Amino acid sequence: MAPTQNNRIAMVYCAGGSRAKRRGEADLSYLDCSMAKQAFADGVLECAQGCLGLGSCVEACRLDAIHIGVHGAAVVDREACVGCGLCVEACPQGLIRLVDADTTIVPRCSNQDAGPVARNACDVSCITCRMCERNCPAAAITMVDNHAVIDPERCISCGMCAVKCPRGVIVDADGVFTVADFA
Amino acid sequence: MSYSFTVNGLLRTTEEDKPLLRYLRDDLHLYSVKDGCSEGACGTCTIVVDGKAVKSCVLTTKKAVGKTILTVEGLSHDEQEAFVYAFGKVGAVQCGFCIPGMVMAGKALIDQNPNPSEADIKKAIRGNICRCTGYKKIIEGISLTAAILRGEEKIDPELEKGDVYGVGDRAFRTDVRGKVLGSGAYCDDIEMEGMVHASAVRSQYPRAKVLDIDASKALELPGVLAVLTAEDVPNNKVGHIQQDWDVFIAKGDITRCVGDAICLVVAENEKVLAQAKKLVKISYEQLEPVRSIQEAMAENAPKLHPNGNLCQQRHVTRGDAKTALANSKYVVTQSYKTPFTEHAFLEPECAVAFPYKDGVKVYTSDQGVYDTRKEISIMLGWEPDRIVVENKFVGGGFGGKEDVSVQHLAVLAALKVNKPVKVKFTRQESINFHPKRHYMEGTFTLGCDENGIFTGLDCEIYFDTGAYASLCGPVLERACTHSVGPYCYQNTDIRGFGYYTNNPPAGAFRGFGVCQSEFALESNINLLAEKVGISPWEIRYRNAIEPGKVLPNGQIADCSTALKETLLAVKDVYEANMDHAGIACAMKNAGVGVGLPDKGRCKLVVRDGMVELYAAASDIGQGCATVFLQVLSQTTGLPRLLLRNMGANSEVAPDSGTTSGSRQTLITGEAVRMAAVDLKKDMDEVNGDLSKLEGKEYFAEFFDPTDKLGSDKPNPKSHVAYGFATHVVILDDEGQVKEVYAAHDSGKVVNPTSIQGQIEGGVLMGLGYALTEDFPLKDCVPQAKYGTLGLMRSNQIPDIHAIYVEKDELLPFAYGAKGIGEIATIPTAPAVQGAYYAKDHILRTSLPMEKTYYKK
Repeated sequence: MAPTQNNRIAMVYCAGGSRAKRRGEADLSYLDCSMAKQAFADGVLECAQGCLGLGSCVEACRLDAIHIGVHGAAVVDREACVGCGLCVEACPQGLIRLVDADTTIVPRCSNQDAGPVARNACDVSCITCRMCERNCPAAAITMVDNHAVIDPERCISCGMCAVKCPRGVIVDADGVFTVADFA
Repeated sequence: MSYSFTVNGLLRTTEEDKPLLRYLRDDLHLYSVKDGCSEGACGTCTIVVDGKAVKSCVLTTKKAVGKTILTVEGLSHDEQEAFVYAFGKVGAVQCGFCIPGMVMAGKALIDQNPNPSEADIKKAIRGNICRCTGYKKIIEGISLTAAILRGEEKIDPELEKGDVYGVGDRAFRTDVRGKVLGSGAYCDDIEMEGMVHASAVRSQYPRAKVLDIDASKALELPGVLAVLTAEDVPNNKVGHIQQDWDVFIAKGDITRCVGDAICLVVAENEKVLAQAKKLVKISYEQLEPVRSIQEAMAENAPKLHPNGNLCQQRHVTRGDAKTALANSKYVVTQSYKTPFTEHAFLEPECAVAFPYKDGVKVYTSDQGVYDTRKEISIMLGWEPDRIVVENKFVGGGFGGKEDVSVQHLAVLAALKVNKPVKVKFTRQESINFHPKRHYMEGTFTLGCDENGIFTGLDCEIYFDTGAYASLCGPVLERACTHSVGPYCYQNTDIRGFGYYTNNPPAGAFRGFGVCQSEFALESNINLLAEKVGISPWEIRYRNAIEPGKVLPNGQIADCSTALKETLLAVKDVYEANMDHAGIACAMKNAGVGVGLPDKGRCKLVVRDGMVELYAAASDIGQGCATVFLQVLSQTTGLPRLLLRNMGANSEVAPDSGTTSGSRQTLITGEAVRMAAVDLKKDMDEVNGDLSKLEGKEYFAEFFDPTDKLGSDKPNPKSHVAYGFATHVVILDDEGQVKEVYAAHDSGKVVNPTSIQGQIEGGVLMGLGYALTEDFPLKDCVPQAKYGTLGLMRSNQIPDIHAIYVEKDELLPFAYGAKGIGEIATIPTAPAVQGAYYAKDHILRTSLPMEKTYYKK
């Protein structure tokens, strides 16, 4: 029997990493995320909300269920994650949240800037074009703080938003509607 | 660029980037993949892609590259047989339009989890809407399929074969195989040699003067065959009863709602058609719309129709309500509001018409082929029999397919271009066009004596019938005649008014006006019970109609009346949960009644050693095609394999009236029985050897006269029969509906599996009406999309217990069967209201109710 309970897993609401513009050339690899955030008061990235990619979450995870992906942003291993929430606490950017383990369609951006600024800050940022909102058949998507947010109560995981998103922000974890680019 | 992927084991390549749904249907002709919305909302196009259930309208050929795609057609033989048997056995198939999608969602689940729990299945199909079944039997069907595929359950071939197929048997519906496998055709599945496509350009505004229609650019586009306007229609009016509905709004005329057609573009294919529609330039002078009943009643309101804005009115009165109420110990007066509701049947309207003999033939999805024939004949000014109308599978109706929508347009186009023409609605077109359940505002005053015995009812009912009459007259009339409830008292004064506005039209919808008025009445009854100091159950039981007693309309309740039995069936469960449960009763006529020539007809023909059944009675998913065969089998003793229902076709089958008013089982069922009795007599003379009766025909017409409304007889008979019901709704601690007990008196039950499906589906529709469904309008323009109508999904359903009481005393028609179609939807909403009232003592007088678990 497959589990019927609402198991939770962690989800990182940013896919930027190396695709986000950095503000300086400094080598940060000796810092963890919190230290970097403190050391660079003006921000490490053009995007104030983006994943710093220094692995505080990786450090926190006891199951090796989160790592820094090829694009330099944190990625959760959906099979290994048990939803304990340690990474959620470890992320100084507040980018990691626990969601229903069946959640497949995810807008992976938390940028709070208006469209043009967001576009300039990162290649995979939400620019609030509302294409997803307009095409969602279930009225499950709204724009909050300048990025798309999906109401899990309303979402029927149809994938329409992922197919329509011109920026590749909304991703399908199953890899059917989009490349499962959680890296 | 070319895109390659595997479909049902074969490598396919296409150059075109388009929705996968379109590729599968249009290029590969895989018709199990249904097009219910093309918006990702309904789930009818669900397929399996790399092991996941996916809506094929969302995916594109480009994004499908390299993937492995499976449709129902590609399931293994064992899987197909398991689904057919399981879905048929449990009764999961009604209209069937959602079913292939459900099958594929089930397939993806079972592959991943061969032994899924009920909760797993609910989750797996939560993206698939079903409007007929209430999901319960689909969940059971997937569960049984899984058990068969695990080897724990076996297929019993005898069940589908149907040697046991009589009245009262759990007969396997005739349409299961075609609907589960997608091999049976709905209109949209029809392809004909040389077939072209047509679609209407519709009004941008609810009320605007059409200044000019310029189709010249569209006509220049290669592939465009014609553009039809009002000038091309012999008589530019249609309408189910009143012909007040313009086929096209002519240049110089004023539109009445956003669904109004201005012109019809005919083109060689759908791609050109879509381009051409955009090239038609229509100029308007926008006018202020009439948004509400109040605006329609205003003195200076624009007249939307020549006779003004009052479309219909009724005054139903008996005894002296005024005096009775004045002398009553307790009186309750309360106003109520109920919303427009959308039928949301899964199959959008579609028709294919083509020149035929000396006239035209049209394949339809509607609720009466003779109704459609009549409307088209009025439009063309032709003798009706030059027009042949035949139903394909009807993917749900619920009243919303009684009016013509696409049929007449397909006919006009086919006659113009002399080719087969398909006209189909997009989902939004369907939502904007077809008549809804009437919006109601009403004030009800009900009185009783010190013992809670009802004394009289005074009420005023206002309906918004939108842009056109549709069935406003009869629906308003049923709302009025049934506003009294299934009780025994004799003083009533009921006034009903239906007003035209510029909203989408309103018309027939399962319950036919009674959902509105009984919500109000039943809510008032709870308030009276409180004043008297007795329970909501007790006040209903004390007043309940019983055989021999007189209904408020004067009709003497017949021997089959079993309202009290339904009340008793739910007494214990109600009383055990009283502080968080609600109860409501209902009655609903079976048969059109009120003095109209409501006839059922049937012709049986012995051909090739089999009996062919001809009755033009639309099976819109409720299952009457199977019911008729059961009646035939019961009467003749013949097994299912020797019987064929030839469907609803006006060329060969006699008129059996509209599928409306819960009438087919009783009215046409009795005609079938009568014809079958004659056949049986002859069979007995030849020792049952059908070959000796080859070519013989048996025709029967059933008509049980009724009295018209306002008849001066002391005890007029309004309807041939009434069904009765009591529902109990139980909430959990959070205020979520946990359980519904639905006890029904429908006389003799012809098919226990089917009746459960009718009850479960009806209850869920009633729950939606009470709690989640709405049809918001902004300046007369519908704001809802299919996905935001508030239709309940599989993971929201409570446990619905379908109970039927059968008593020994039955009506002498159709083995004592009475209708079930509508009544299951009626008492649910007031029972929900009563449950919340019991829990928090807030009286919720409008639907959908506010401050509930479902709507904060």
